[in-house]
Amino acid sequence: MEQRAQIEELVYRSCMALDERDFKGFLELCDPGFRYKVTVYSPEIRKEMVWLDQDRRGMETLFTNLPRHNSDHSPLVRHATVYTVKMNGGEAEVISALQVFRTALDGGATELFGVARLIDTVKLDGGTPRLASRVVRMETRQLGFGSHVPF
Amino acid sequence: MAKSGADWNATPKFPATHYVDSRIYTDQAIFEEEKEKLFKPSWIIACHESEIANAFDYRLFAHPSGVPLIIVRGDDQKVRSFYNICPHRGNTILYDPAGNARRMTCIFHAWSYDTRGNCIEISRAEQGYQDRFRKEDASLREVRTEVGFGGFIWVNLDDAASPLKDYIGPSMDILAPYMVEPMEVFHFNRAIVNTNYKLWHDTNSEFYHDFVHYFNRITGMMQPGYFDRRYTAFPNGHASVGSMSIQYDKYEGSKERAVGWPGLTPGGWYMVDLFPGLTYNLRTSVLRIDTAIPLGPNQVAIEFRGLGLKSDTPAQRAQRVFDHNTIWGPFGRNLHEDLLAVHGQGRAMREGTDSRWVIHGREEGSTIHDEIGMRHFYAEWSRRMGRAAHDPFRGNRPAPERAAA
Repeated sequence: MEQRAQIEELVYRSCMALDERDFKGFLELCDPGFRYKVTVYSPEIRKEMVWLDQDRRGMETLFTNLPRHNSDHSPLVRHATVYTVKMNGGEAEVISALQVFRTALDGGATELFGVARLIDTVKLDGGTPRLASRVVRMETRQLGFGSHVPF
Repeated sequence: MAKSGADWNATPKFPATHYVDSRIYTDQAIFEEEKEKLFKPSWIIACHESEIANAFDYRLFAHPSGVPLIIVRGDDQKVRSFYNICPHRGNTILYDPAGNARRMTCIFHAWSYDTRGNCIEISRAEQGYQDRFRKEDASLREVRTEVGFGGFIWVNLDDAASPLKDYIGPSMDILAPYMVEPMEVFHFNRAIVNTNYKLWHDTNSEFYHDFVHYFNRITGMMQPGYFDRRYTAFPNGHASVGSMSIQYDKYEGSKERAVGWPGLTPGGWYMVDLFPGLTYNLRTSVLRIDTAIPLGPNQVAIEFRGLGLKSDTPAQRAQRVFDHNTIWGPFGRNLHEDLLAVHGQGRAMREGTDSRWVIHGREEGSTIHDEIGMRHFYAEWSRRMGRAAHDPFRGNRPAPERAAA
């Protein structure tokens, strides 16, 4: 149970780091071989789609470039609930529910921005669990004017 | 010195062709008129042939005029379009946005239709209608449909409209050499933004707004050839933009695009804007298509499609998807910036804000920061609407009240 608690905390910390735009902190939770993907199925074209696919270096560059771009500054808050943790040798597959809320800077109204599942592979062979990969499996496909910060 | 109320309302010091009255973006009556005069008689892309590749495949499309359509490939492989409205009690016939339907059956009373629009079954017909009403009286309303210009499926609600080829004219000639190989849609998403559809099309019709895009400034504006790109205006309000060689490797984390496009110079980029709200955007390795579907004076749904080649290997397709996502995906660098910018326009121009004029005054020999694309659009808009875009309420038309300055 202690290991499960550590894994759950890793998922939650990753969400908190992204909420705070602490991208360095987020990457510190990730394995050097980390891979991040956003996937979604489109019933309109009846196809699986990939909306983002980056390795750790790609994520670093993405985060480095963000301040150079014009972005919406509304804070995003991720609410995750770890559903299942399946141990598999030195790894665990973790499935979590994710809701992302966006709060307008002007006035503070909060809206549900997106619903997804996090499918994480967590490395357990070191002292501290690390994210080896994350697939954000989106349910929401309509994101208004969108976001530069991934879920 | 800041402007007084009188200054703010004064006519801009430009020719009337170089500005518009911002009420054309907010007025409900103008919006309703646009649906009738601009969208209903225009050829509009509903989907791509790859979305309905097999017999009985269908795709739903919310036409910009408001009419719900079914686009379906028949048993004879012909693509036809029909109102997605049951002629019996006006119900929706097909609900899922895409699928395969040998029979299209209305769930309400089980009336069924084939892919040619014939009613093939009326449940308990004889008992209820005797010989007063037959299947032949219950066909679907068919809409003119053509396939072309890269395998896209175009619809036109006007039975008397001229053929698609005439509507497009020479505007797509610049892209014709690159539309030869069969293509396939790999990306679709829809963004709903609180802004007027014309403001989205404006954004696609001028490159001066590259100032909002860090990516485009670094890879384009600061590179040789950028200011040589030229606009060409065509009949019916269409316009194209010539190419340059985008230096993708100038953006940190980006690199020269390895896949390219058959016949296109490495780093090439062509755009064609089609009246009243379509854009072809062929950028090096991906074709993007924007379809603007106005939902109200200050709300638009924009359908985005990304296409590669049908012949792509998995590796080639993965690279195209990567290229697409870097700038045009829902988390891409440029799309969010464009959408944020037009959202900002919608916010500043919505009814009652006292937004007054929108200026399209840049003249740079029809090159990339010239605003000729928008001027050309609004000349056609004015012609079709019978209203001058710079003075839309002239004459006997009632002008809506303005907020106090």
